[in-house]
Amino acid sequence: MLVAEDDALSRTLLERTLQRAGYEVISVENGAQAIAELVKEDAPRLALLDWIMPEVDGVEVCRELRRRKDQAYTYLILLSSRESKEDIVAGLESGADDYLTKPFNVDELKARLRTGLRILELEDHLVEARESMRFQATHDLLTSLWNRGVIVELMTHEIMRSRRERSCTSVMMCDIDHFKAVNDQYGHATGDDVLREVARRLHNSVRSYDMVGRYGGEEFLVALNKCNPGSAISRAENLRNKIAGRPIQTANKPVSVTISIGLALSTEFTECTIEEIMHHADMALYAAKAAGRNCVRVARPSGIGTPTDEQPKETQVLTP
Amino acid sequence: MRQPKWALKELIDRLDGDREFLRELLVIFRQDVRVNLQKSHEAIGSSDYEQLSRAAHTMKGMLRNLSMDVAAETAAALETASRESRGSDSKELLERLEKELEEILPEVESQLAGVRS
Repeated sequence: MLVAEDDALSRTLLERTLQRAGYEVISVENGAQAIAELVKEDAPRLALLDWIMPEVDGVEVCRELRRRKDQAYTYLILLSSRESKEDIVAGLESGADDYLTKPFNVDELKARLRTGLRILELEDHLVEARESMRFQATHDLLTSLWNRGVIVELMTHEIMRSRRERSCTSVMMCDIDHFKAVNDQYGHATGDDVLREVARRLHNSVRSYDMVGRYGGEEFLVALNKCNPGSAISRAENLRNKIAGRPIQTANKPVSVTISIGLALSTEFTECTIEEIMHHADMALYAAKAAGRNCVRVARPSGIGTPTDEQPKETQVLTP
Repeated sequence: MRQPKWALKELIDRLDGDREFLRELLVIFRQDVRVNLQKSHEAIGSSDYEQLSRAAHTMKGMLRNLSMDVAAETAAALETASRESRGSDSKELLERLEKELEEILPEVESQLAGVRS
């Protein structure tokens, strides 16, 4: 915990009392140092602040810390030798959780610190629960990828942004080939292992700012941000190879699977809605399946092309 | 009822009988009370009441922490007087505080000497 007290004698007394009570104490001599300590990473969560300190006083420390809402809660106790009611109200309104009058009574000090710890513990539980709920609400339970709602929303934002910035977002619909056969042959537990591993490989094969989500049963949606249109196909091929390249070690036995990919570039569909772009990617995926699976097909405004197309030609168009 | 100048026994109880720690605190006290008296005189000289009330506040805290209640009350009165810029009251209270401290300091010294031996 932190002790901020300008008077050396009080500081020493507090420090020793708190150390005896089992606290690890960092002590500082003024408010500015207190703020600097309390905003650090892994800062103390419990602080005893003297009310009157030169330049930055305890009340100002409280105000400053409460202004910063981005960090974990710090329990703040003001130490005051004043006794008037207005001061106490002003102190609490600045964001202090509690106050103590000096000279402090050791048992009271300890009891109030325990109250602080109880509140902090409660806060930690709540934050943990909230984070866990947030994760569950946004991620797919089996693969821990973004869930369908979130990946579509993130991709929508990304395409909007790439349109403003005149960059390109690649949308890839990836589907595991013959997945039903995996389930039928090896059982659903193995099928789940396969889904998890495909998800992991896709996730590990893109940059940290790209997005991968589970779109449906065995279907994954990958969005590559700021993607060079010329390299989108090779990146799709790379994803395909990551899956086809080596068998998946399941709890049961190694299982070889492949994926088919339908690719749509946002720059090719500047007039389309997000739903239409996804529909085009989906059509390209169907075309990849029809072409024998384990391959990539590209959606063009005029139809579907193969990865080797430089210029989409009429003959390669597979109209949906 | 007259308050004791220095409730030493109460202080030692508060420190769980740790005489070594008492000594440590008294060393700080001896040093800091001198510094703050010095500051107070300077402040009175230049009618800097903010500086004076701050020094008085610090001394009040120290004295209360050490159970030197009579002098602590004088320091508290000095803090109030100087905050209200009452010049002659402040001067008088500072003189009184100094006298009270003069009575305590030899006791502090003998404590320090006693623990050391």
